[in-house]
Amino acid sequence: MADVAISPPAVHRPVTTEPRAARIVLIAVAVLFLAFFLLLPLVVVFVEALGAGIGTYWKALVDKDALAAIRLTLLVAAIAVPANLVFGVAASWLIAKFEFRGKSVLTTLIDLPFSVSPVTSGLIYVLVFGAQGLLGPWLAAHGVKIIFAVPGIVLATIFVTFPFVARELIPIMQDQGTEDEEAAASLGAHGLTTFFRVTLPNIKWALLYGVLLCNARAMGEFGAVSVVSGKIRGQTNTMPLQVEILYNEYSYVAAFAVASLLALLALVTLAVKSFLEWRYAGELAAQRRH
Amino acid sequence: MDALLDYDVNYFRRQETRVDETALSGSSGASLWGKPVDVRVDRVVREFGATPALRGVSIDIAAGELVALLGPSGSGKTTLLRILAGLDAPNAGRVTFAGEDALRLSVQQRHIGFVFQSYALFRSMKVFDNIAFGLTVRPLWRRPRKSEIRRRVMELLDLVQLSGLENRYPSQLSGGQRQRVALARALAIEPRMLLLDEPFGALDAKVRRELRRWLREIHDRTGHTTVFVTHDQEEAIELADRIAVLNNGQIEQVGTPAEIYDKPATPFVASFIGETSALPVGVRSGKLVLDGTPLDISVGGATGGTHNLVFRPHDVTLRPANGGGTVTGRVMSERRHGGSRRLDLEVGPARHRVEIDVPPETENAHRGDFVSFLPSRWWLFEA
Repeated sequence: MADVAISPPAVHRPVTTEPRAARIVLIAVAVLFLAFFLLLPLVVVFVEALGAGIGTYWKALVDKDALAAIRLTLLVAAIAVPANLVFGVAASWLIAKFEFRGKSVLTTLIDLPFSVSPVTSGLIYVLVFGAQGLLGPWLAAHGVKIIFAVPGIVLATIFVTFPFVARELIPIMQDQGTEDEEAAASLGAHGLTTFFRVTLPNIKWALLYGVLLCNARAMGEFGAVSVVSGKIRGQTNTMPLQVEILYNEYSYVAAFAVASLLALLALVTLAVKSFLEWRYAGELAAQRRH
Repeated sequence: MDALLDYDVNYFRRQETRVDETALSGSSGASLWGKPVDVRVDRVVREFGATPALRGVSIDIAAGELVALLGPSGSGKTTLLRILAGLDAPNAGRVTFAGEDALRLSVQQRHIGFVFQSYALFRSMKVFDNIAFGLTVRPLWRRPRKSEIRRRVMELLDLVQLSGLENRYPSQLSGGQRQRVALARALAIEPRMLLLDEPFGALDAKVRRELRRWLREIHDRTGHTTVFVTHDQEEAIELADRIAVLNNGQIEQVGTPAEIYDKPATPFVASFIGETSALPVGVRSGKLVLDGTPLDISVGGATGGTHNLVFRPHDVTLRPANGGGTVTGRVMSERRHGGSRRLDLEVGPARHRVEIDVPPETENAHRGDFVSFLPSRWWLFEA
């Protein structure tokens, strides 16, 4: 048999890769974009806030009205996030695991807060609960104050942040189907046991992301809250509203100080998420592959 | 009460457990736990909207029997299995376990081990917790102690030959291993019956054959009434005591693998179990007639009209070409088929296509040759 020389293959590039130059350009564009639009503003916030020294910064934060704003923001988040956690899990459970008439309507409704401008949503609450609104006279007669008060802010925040948890959960729950629940039932587990032992663990990561996003938005919401809040200093100002007021009064350092707290919150959220991902990387990977 | 709930260490190993089990019965409601039951399915109908999935299915399954529900996809076999498990409910009909109305019982109360086609292992739990699940969700007063649960899980792991893998997550196991975890999890609750939906569907051929033999061993050891769904006739024949062949929402035939294979009740069963060739024939004065020519096959009871002569490709005898009274066809193609050569014949002016198997060394039976034969074993069905 003739000796057939096996020639080395021509340089083969994996089909999904681009030429070196293209890769460099694309990466550079992405990095520059990120630096300019995301990193730079973040840096500016902290530079401005700390520009007049740490003492001024601290004084701006412990200001009576600033503290009230921080308290209110935390309070609103502490109500809105758990509420949406429960609503979101319930709604996605319903949509993903059951068949019923009007399911698509419910799915669309859940998305509504995303598609409606936050200012409009705030306005809706004013029109329903406000003094001249639908329920206004009745509420006034019973001494219930919703608009220009904390309940209105909480309602508006819940509305705006409603989709975050559900949106995160519905695809993953639909993807997982109902076989795990059926298996649990055949092994003798009843509804609640199945939910807490099987359904919930299956969605815990998506749920965590949903809650983190929901929390970030609840603390940062401006549009809807600014309509219903009335911006009463020390009473109905949340942190974003406080920032705006201070900025409009040319108190730049104070405005950036409060803003830096909000930015810090965002960074902490990201850090927590990254930490959890790192800590449970094995488990997470194991579940994804399944 | 304790004796009833106590998990017998050697439950799976001892043949004489049957005697012990009768001693365990006699308590209300829970009397049959762990003891194999007989099942009666009586005229069960299930419709999904306007489409009937089961059109009046009846079958009796003896305690400890291993039964295969065999049929093509859409035949209703999985629906029947889910109705037995309580995961689905019939529109009409009755299902009884040991004489007790099963339809009144919820999934949880039925106490059935169900192995899903996709295994449905709990992905967030390790193998150990998966198997222990059925025990840990019991109400406190019926829940075994932690050490006891551990002992049982380890024993089951040993039974399914997965010792040492208890700390893995399901995703870290191979398909065959997942399948065995699913089985161990189902066995952990000491079920009255074991139901398996396409148990080997997602596995490759070699693993499938191994697990098949292994499942048969487990069944013989544990003695559970077992029903499994499959579309693979070979699997059903090799594994089951009896096979129920389903087609289009109805049971076409129930019988032992030999009965089903040798005496198919309908053309569907004949063609679904093993390979078949068929020829349209008539009957004239006690003989079969193919395209006007009488064949050398006598039939007793059959009357006139058209029939289908059905036979297995390997159940044929070659005849001399000039003998007459035979089926003669031209070889259109040939190929190796196991130990023999398979010929694709075109028979008569109507060009009926049939397949027959001949010994590989057969002469004058190549492409273009004319070959004469008669089926040595055949069935006649009304056309």
